[in-house]
Amino acid sequence: MKIRKILIVDDEQIILSYLEKKFTKLDYSVYLAGDGEEAVKQAFLNNPDIILLDIKLPKLNGIDVCKKLKADERTKNIPILILSARAQASEIEIGIAAGADKYLCKPMSFPDILSEIRAYDNK
Amino acid sequence: MLVSYLILSIIPLIIMGYIANKNLRDTGLQAVLRAEEMGSHNLQAAEYIGKTSIADSVVALDRKSTEAIELRTVELAARIADFLYERDKDLRVLASIKPDSRHYLDIYRLSNRDVIDTERPPVTDTNKADSPIMTSSNPENRDAWRHLPPCPARKLSRPLYKEITFIDLQGREKIKIAGGKISGNLLDVSRKENTYCRAENYFTHLKKLHKGEIYVSRVIGEQLKGWLYNTPEGIKISPESSYAGRENPSGKKFAGIIRWGTPVYNEKNEKAGYVTLALDHTHIMEFTDHVSPTEERFTILSDGGSGNYAFIWDNEARCISHARDFFICGFNPQTGKAVPGWLSEQTYNEYKKSGLTLEEFVEQLPSFSNFTQVKSASIEQIKSGFIPLDCRVLDNAPQCQGWHEGTEDGGSGSFLILWSGLWKLTTYSAIPYYTGDYGKSKRGFGYVTIGANVDDFHRDANITRANIEKSLREQGRKIISENNKTRELIKENASTNRLLFILIAVMACLAVISISLLLSLTITRPLRQLTHGAVEISRGNYEQSIRVKSQDEIGQLAKSFNEMAKTVSEVDKMKSDFVTTASHELRTPIQAMLLGISGILEGYSGKIDGEVREDLELAKTGIERLMNLISNLLDLSRIEAQKIEFTVSQVSLAEIIDRAIAEVSDLAQKHRHTIVKYVPADIPDIEADHDRMIQVIINLLSNSIKYSPDGGKIIIRAGEKEGKTVLTVIDNGYGIPSWAKEEVFKKFFQADNIMSHKVGGSGLGLTIAKGIVENHGGYIYCESPVPEGEFPELPLGGERKGAIFVIEFPTVHNPRT
Repeated sequence: MKIRKILIVDDEQIILSYLEKKFTKLDYSVYLAGDGEEAVKQAFLNNPDIILLDIKLPKLNGIDVCKKLKADERTKNIPILILSARAQASEIEIGIAAGADKYLCKPMSFPDILSEIRAYDNK
Repeated sequence: MLVSYLILSIIPLIIMGYIANKNLRDTGLQAVLRAEEMGSHNLQAAEYIGKTSIADSVVALDRKSTEAIELRTVELAARIADFLYERDKDLRVLASIKPDSRHYLDIYRLSNRDVIDTERPPVTDTNKADSPIMTSSNPENRDAWRHLPPCPARKLSRPLYKEITFIDLQGREKIKIAGGKISGNLLDVSRKENTYCRAENYFTHLKKLHKGEIYVSRVIGEQLKGWLYNTPEGIKISPESSYAGRENPSGKKFAGIIRWGTPVYNEKNEKAGYVTLALDHTHIMEFTDHVSPTEERFTILSDGGSGNYAFIWDNEARCISHARDFFICGFNPQTGKAVPGWLSEQTYNEYKKSGLTLEEFVEQLPSFSNFTQVKSASIEQIKSGFIPLDCRVLDNAPQCQGWHEGTEDGGSGSFLILWSGLWKLTTYSAIPYYTGDYGKSKRGFGYVTIGANVDDFHRDANITRANIEKSLREQGRKIISENNKTRELIKENASTNRLLFILIAVMACLAVISISLLLSLTITRPLRQLTHGAVEISRGNYEQSIRVKSQDEIGQLAKSFNEMAKTVSEVDKMKSDFVTTASHELRTPIQAMLLGISGILEGYSGKIDGEVREDLELAKTGIERLMNLISNLLDLSRIEAQKIEFTVSQVSLAEIIDRAIAEVSDLAQKHRHTIVKYVPADIPDIEADHDRMIQVIINLLSNSIKYSPDGGKIIIRAGEKEGKTVLTVIDNGYGIPSWAKEEVFKKFFQADNIMSHKVGGSGLGLTIAKGIVENHGGYIYCESPVPEGEFPELPLGGERKGAIFVIEFPTVHNPRT
C-alpha cells in the first residue's frame, strides 16, 4: 500500500514549509504539527500513513508523542520515523525504546528522506 | 617526607644536646680546675702571708720581747745599784755613830731582808683553786683582762749582813757582830789569813781612804765544786754538785760576801778607825736567782737547764750570780787564792805547755782573745770540779765578750747567740753603782745578763704558726675535698644532663612524630585529597568535592578547590551544553540548507541546467563538509571529555574492515587507489564499539587516500603480536616527516607543507581515531617512511615515501572457533 498521508512534526517552520511544499508536489497529503500536542491531535484526527517526528518540540516532546501514539490503538500501527538533530547513541536508543520505527539524524537530504518514506510504501 | 623531616629535626637536637652537655661538662671541669688553681693559689698566698706575718710578728714579737727583757735587765740592774747605794748609806750611818757594840747589834738586827725560801714548798691557799679572779665585776673593765696572782713563794727574813765590824787603825777588830750576836772572836784583819776565805785584803784599801770615802770589795766566797756532763737531752748536773737550783736543789749554795768599809772620825775629827759591813751576797744573788724571762716571770728555784735565767757579772767580768752556784767565781779558802776560770780545751792545753801554774797562766792570759764557740770547754777542769766562769778567759763563750763590750759605756742591750744548739737571746745591762773602785769605769759594779731561749718567745708565734699551718692544711684539705665534691657533682650533673638530654631528645622525637602525624592528618591528607580531586578533574570527573574540616589555610584551600571544581564542572557542563546545543542548533539550519539544495539537485524543485547544477554541487559539498566538521568537532569534544559513550561488544575485525573499506571505496576509486586487505581467518574478536571502530579504520583509510598521489596502494592488515591484536594500515603516499609523527594526531593538523594543494577534511580524523583507540585502552602510532623491502608489494620511490599506521589493542579474546 502506498503511503499517501504524511504527518510532519517539527518546531522549525522553514523545515515544515519546505517539506510540505515538496511532498505536496509529489502528490502526498501533508499534515503539519509544530508542537507535540498538535502532533497527537493531528495523528488522531487525520490518521496519517507515516509520521516524521522531531524530538525537540514545545508542549510535548517527540519521545512522549511517540510513546503516546504507539500506546494508542488508533495510532499504534502508524510507522513513526524520528528525524532529529540529536544523534547520540543514547538518544537513538531512547527513541527506539519509545517505539520509533526508525531514527534518522539531521541533517538529512530531501532525497534521502523521500527514500526512507518510500521504503514504507509496501508495509 | 616524614622521615626526612624527622631526621632533619632530630639530628640537630641531638647534636646540640651532645655539644651542650660536653660543653657544660668541660666548662664545669674547667671551673673545677680553675677553682683548684685558685684554691691552691689562695692556699699558697695564705701560706706566704701566714709565714710572712708570722715572720714579721716573730720579728716584732722578738723586738718587743727583747725590749721587755732588756728593760727588765736594765731595771734589775738599777735595783741592784739602788740596793748597793743603800748599803753605802748604811755604812755612812754606821760611820756617823760612835762605835758601840750594842748599837751595832741593834743595827745588825734591824737590817733584814726577805729572801725566797727555796726549801719549803710554796704557800698554797686552800681556796686557791677557785680564787683566780677571772674577770672584773665592772663590764667596762673586761676587755683583755689579764690577772696573775702574786708569787706564791714563801719568804724568809734574812740578815743583810754577815758581819759588822769596827777596826782600829791597825786593823784589829774592836767590835764584831756576827752570827746574830756580839762576837768575841776579834781578829787582826790586816792579815789575810784572818779574813773570810783568807782572801780579803780590805784593810790595805781602808788605810788609803779619806773621810767619807768608801771601799767596796769584790765578791768573796768559797768556790764550789760542780760537775756537768752532756747527755743527748742536754747538760746534766751530777747529784753531788753544788746547788744548781732545779738541777740540784739540795746542793750547797754559794756563800759570799761583799765588804764595805769607811773610816770613822771622832768628835775631834780624827780618824778613830774603820767600820765595815760584810753584805751577805745571798741578797745580791736573790736579785737574779728567781728571775725567769718567761711568762712565769719568777721561778722559786732557779733553773740552769732551762736556759732561761739571769746572772750577774762583776766589773771584771767574773760571774758573781748564776743559776748554778758552782759557776760563781770563788776562792780557795785554804790558799786564799782565786780559783782560775774555766778555759777552753785549747787554751788549757796551752797552759799545760806553759809550765806555769794555772793561776799564773790565767793571770797573764790576754782578755777576750779568740773567743769562739768552735772551741770546746776544758774537760780536765770539769773533772776537777772547779769551773768558775771568768768571762775574761772563758774563750769558748763569745757572748762574754759581747756583754763586756756592750757594757763598756754603762749601757744595755742584747744579741742572739746559738748556744748549745739553741738560739738564745742574751741581754745585758751595766749596774750603775760607782762607789769605790767600782767607779773606775762606766761599767760600774758590773752587769746583769738575762738569757732567754728564743724559741720560748717564739712559742706564741710558733703556736700561731702551727695554728696557721694547721688551718692552712685544713683549708687545703677542704678545698681539695670540695673540689672533688664539685668534680663529682659535675660528673653527676653531666650524666643527669645526658639523661635529661636523652629524655628531651626522645620527647622531641615523639613530638616530631606526633607533629608529623598531625601534619599528615591536617595537611598531607587534605593535600592528597586535593591532588586526587585535581587528578579526577583532569580525567574529566568534574564532580569533586573535598570535605572542609577546618577554618585554617587547609580548610580555605579545600573550599577554594571545591569552588574551582564546581566552576570547572559548571564550565564543563556549559561546554557540554554548548556542544550539545551547538550540535542541535547547528544541525537545524544545515538541515534546512541541505533539504533545499538536495531537493533542487535531485530535481524536486524543477529542471536546472548544468551550471546551476555545478554551483549547487559546490554548495552541497560545502554543507556536507560543514556537517562533517560539526560531527567531528562534537565527536572530538566528547572524546576529549571522555564523555563519549561506547557500546562495547565483541567485534569481528574482518567485518569492520570490510565495512570500512566499503565506506571509503567511492573516495578511493575517485583517486584510483587500490586497497588490499590481509586479515587472517582466525583473528580474534576485539571488545570494542562496533561503529566507532569502523570510524577509526575509515579515518585511517581516508587519511592514506588523501595523502597519497593518485593511483596509490593501501594495505590494511590485521594480526596478533605479543598478546595484542594489531591493525596496520600502510600506504605509499607522501609520508610523514619525522618531526610530525606525533603532530599528525593533533587537532587540525594538515601538514600543509607536505602537500602542494589542500586536502579535504577537517584535520580531525586521526585525532578522533586516536581518541577512540585510546579510549578502548589501545595504542596508535605511525612510522614513516616505509622501510625498504618491508612491504615489497608496495611500490615506493620518489615522492612516494609511504607511511605505516599501527593500532594495538591490549585485549585479546579467545579466538572464535
